[in-house]
Amino acid sequence: MVGELTWSRRLVGLWLPLTLLFVFALFPFAWMAATSLKANAELYDPTANPLWIRHPSLVHYIDLFKETNFVVWIGNTMLVATVSTVISLLLGVMLAYPLARMRFPAAGLLAITVAVTYLVPQTLLFVPMADLINRMKLGDTLTAVMLTYPTLLVPFCAWLLIGYFKTVPKELEEAALIDGASRWRAMTRVILPLCTPGFLSAGIFAFTLAQNEFLYALLFLNTSTIRTVPVGVTGELIRGDAFYWGQLMAAAFLGSLPVVLIYSFFVKYYVAGLTAGSVKG
Amino acid sequence: MSTNPVLEAARPATRAVPAGRPFRLREWLEREAVFSWLMLTPPLLFLLAFLGYPFCYGVYLSFVKRPVAQPATFVGLGNFVNLWNDAIFWQAVWNTFRFTAAATVLKLVGGLGMALVMHQNFKLKGMTRALLLLPFIVPTVLSTVAWQWIFDPGMGMFNRLLMFFDLVKQNQGPSWLGNPTLAMVSVILVNTWRGLPFFGITILAGLQTIPDELMESATIDGAGTWARFRYVTLPLLMPVIFIVTTFSIIFTFFDFQLVYVLTGGGPANATHLMATYAYSVGMSSGQLGMGSAAALAMVPVLGVVLLMMSSYVRRA
Amino acid sequence: MQTRRQFIQRGTKLVAAGAVATAAGPTILVRDAKAAGQLKILQWSHFVPAYDKWFDPWAKEWGSKRGVEVTVDHVGFADVVPRATAEVAAQSGHDVHMFLGLASAFEEHVIDLKDVVATLEKKHGKQVELAHRSTYNPFTRKQFALSDMWVPDPGNYHKEVWTKIGKPQGPVTYDDLVWAAPEVKKVAPQMQIPIGVGLSQDIDSNMAVRNILWCHGGSIQDKDGNVVLNSPETLAALEYAKKLYSVGMTQAVLSWNAASNNQAFNAQETSYILNSISAYRTAQDNKLPVLEHYYFVPALKGPKATLASEHVMSGYVVWKFSKNQDVAKEFLVALVDAARESMLASKLYNFPSFYGAAAEPGTPVNKRAESGGAWITAQCNKDPFGSNPPDKLALLAKSVPWSTNLGHPGFGNPAEGEIFDTYVLTDMFAKAATGALSPKDSMMEASTRAKQIFDKWRQKKMVPGGGKDK
Repeated sequence: MVGELTWSRRLVGLWLPLTLLFVFALFPFAWMAATSLKANAELYDPTANPLWIRHPSLVHYIDLFKETNFVVWIGNTMLVATVSTVISLLLGVMLAYPLARMRFPAAGLLAITVAVTYLVPQTLLFVPMADLINRMKLGDTLTAVMLTYPTLLVPFCAWLLIGYFKTVPKELEEAALIDGASRWRAMTRVILPLCTPGFLSAGIFAFTLAQNEFLYALLFLNTSTIRTVPVGVTGELIRGDAFYWGQLMAAAFLGSLPVVLIYSFFVKYYVAGLTAGSVKG
Repeated sequence: MSTNPVLEAARPATRAVPAGRPFRLREWLEREAVFSWLMLTPPLLFLLAFLGYPFCYGVYLSFVKRPVAQPATFVGLGNFVNLWNDAIFWQAVWNTFRFTAAATVLKLVGGLGMALVMHQNFKLKGMTRALLLLPFIVPTVLSTVAWQWIFDPGMGMFNRLLMFFDLVKQNQGPSWLGNPTLAMVSVILVNTWRGLPFFGITILAGLQTIPDELMESATIDGAGTWARFRYVTLPLLMPVIFIVTTFSIIFTFFDFQLVYVLTGGGPANATHLMATYAYSVGMSSGQLGMGSAAALAMVPVLGVVLLMMSSYVRRA
Repeated sequence: MQTRRQFIQRGTKLVAAGAVATAAGPTILVRDAKAAGQLKILQWSHFVPAYDKWFDPWAKEWGSKRGVEVTVDHVGFADVVPRATAEVAAQSGHDVHMFLGLASAFEEHVIDLKDVVATLEKKHGKQVELAHRSTYNPFTRKQFALSDMWVPDPGNYHKEVWTKIGKPQGPVTYDDLVWAAPEVKKVAPQMQIPIGVGLSQDIDSNMAVRNILWCHGGSIQDKDGNVVLNSPETLAALEYAKKLYSVGMTQAVLSWNAASNNQAFNAQETSYILNSISAYRTAQDNKLPVLEHYYFVPALKGPKATLASEHVMSGYVVWKFSKNQDVAKEFLVALVDAARESMLASKLYNFPSFYGAAAEPGTPVNKRAESGGAWITAQCNKDPFGSNPPDKLALLAKSVPWSTNLGHPGFGNPAEGEIFDTYVLTDMFAKAATGALSPKDSMMEASTRAKQIFDKWRQKKMVPGGGKDK
């Protein structure tokens, strides 16, 4: 913003809205944390002050680790999200690079086809998908979700990467070709390294979607030890006629931490890729 | 379906090798079309197998009557006719529109505001940005369960607070998920909570790419704050806004987890979206054909929405 | 078509191989679906968690004695039906699938368990009538499921509050609830939903509204499978629900899930709910303050009947696509035999469907039901899981006469199953109670939906009746 702001304008223009944003964005986490630290007797006591923890207790966390496979779920989620992100990025690059930088027959048709894939609802796919998974004898394995998640992620990766690839001037590639490099070399040595922020951005976006996925995990994964966090938590901590609120909130809180850690490192790059393509291209 | 677009497109390129010259692999590979299609083949095969095949199969299902694992009988448009006459389906369609429209507008306006606020100099900016992004990155199911607990009529945070400040009498707080209107508002609120940071952070990144000189020259030309925003900032932001809005509309339109976990479509279908309704018809009552038809109905609807949006943006 | 499929398969295999190679790690299980020597069971996550801790190792141990590898997977109760749909559609998954309501909608996809029931009846005597009516289709003469247990559904009331309003023994009739609602609000202002009967799309509500309907003399079908929902009795039940809603409930009950009534009761925010004893066990586990006021009453008396739906009716099916059907049948026999262990492991939540299976060892067949009944009564009269007073649950031992099956007064046929799964009745009650529709319109709407569903199944020759639909 241009110009010196006075103290009062800074209060109204910055600190006040910022505080409101903070409260709005973060109070559910505070409520999660507070709930997870209250023992059940206090939790269900209507006379207790909701905002105060009288007797902080780690009992829900202890139960979560002792009684459930929570740690395994976290590990599974990270593994599945990482693998499906890597697959999606690889396939995404192969799709995006020609579409963004090459001229070839049927390019227009292909671009439309890829665009249409965004519109396919998961709810239409899961029954046929289950069939496919079973025929490949992958039922109830993490491989099943590692293979199906990229169908959700590749189109978005490709979209983001196309935008990013377009920002790199064509002359760079032409210069490399004139110097005698093959197209493959020009791509891997010249263009792709320039696009690292784009990869990070697409990768993080894909990772977020993958660790968040619920429907396929719900239908493809049975065994408790191969579940992901969203399915494990809802499947085993909501027991029909009793919600284990304390444990649920502990799980929600802890389940959020790994992604938060990852984001705190990469948040800078995350948005760079999202905007690069659209602003300049 | 019998011809393969991949092979079809590759063929002319192969034939185009000039006669008389020895065929040289390296040269051939360097052709733009050949190189492109070599690159494109693996991802296309993957998508064909894991997206194309299930999609076609799903479309086929929507034209048959197949009460789980029965030999299917072809009913043509029968499933769609049934849907057309199904009041709950229309309610779900209407709900999906209301939900998507309201949530998108709220996220867009809120996100724009968030970006403008954050586009100032202050300490700990990086950390602020990371913290405000939290709602977007936490797995939806987990945060939605937390919201369910917040909305709980007796022991939820909202009603406890209302009671604590004596705004309502004991246990007379509103039923956030029980009243049909409030339930829809609650669902929209949670979706907005989750998506707003995505808008905010992305638009902020867009703001940062606008060169300061532009702003300065606009100021010198006598443009006020509003005029600068309206005629300099906003037009330059349009591409970013278009991307986030499109992403968001797609995800909001297909949203399943949020409603599935928070209300299950209730009370009395007041919050059923097309995705949750398709699931409940197809899976919970075992009518795969109807379920597929309900899911397939989302495709053209969303397609039209997105087309309208992009044509509007192109005109603007 | 042939070549296309091969092409796709080759493609997917390639990709799969690549992905597996990329992802190689110890936690990836590529399970080979070896058919022989395996038994895969899908169960709900039991409402009393202690039960699962017994069941899983018990089943595995049974398997190791029998020389088969038993796997038990649990899903939340709401995912039991969707999961069944998915597995049937894919024609693969588990061998044995447990339903907790009616499995009848899946009748075509499961094998006939007549021989299992015959074996068990020879061993233990007859099963309780409501279990029979929930697992057998007399029209197709198929035993599509086997019930090892069922769960009574008593009323839970807050004794302190009901004492204050002059009824220390709790409600007896449906009219008592309407009378008590305003009184409860007076003595306990925190109870803004004094009568916590859900009217939402969930299982507890689904049973509660059936209770109200039956006790007013109405029902969906008659005993021969004719749809008779359109009746003055149904209207009376709806009028009653409307009255009860206006004095005793708020909109919150329209969105209650299966946990809400328990939670409200455990937080002392309601004075009466309809539920099995799982909520009570939760209160015990957490030593909640409500515990000393937590008491039970049998089904309430209505103008025409005194009936309550079972709360859970296990229905184990064996899929036609299973390659281990014989082992599966043996397993089901063993499970019924373990009636005592099952009842104790579930803290008296499960009641055996074959009372005779709980008999003293060595009792002759014709005396077994009686002997088993005596053992069950002994458990209820002196709760081994720390009730105070110890006979708090005594009424459960006498619950058979007032318990009935979904589909009452007929059998739990596929149409009844679908009406249950699609919440036709809860919608009818909710609309009438809140005034969204008049009781009459609401009844007509539900009656039309019910008749459509029945007709659909009649066309498939799986449901009788139709001649005398109203």
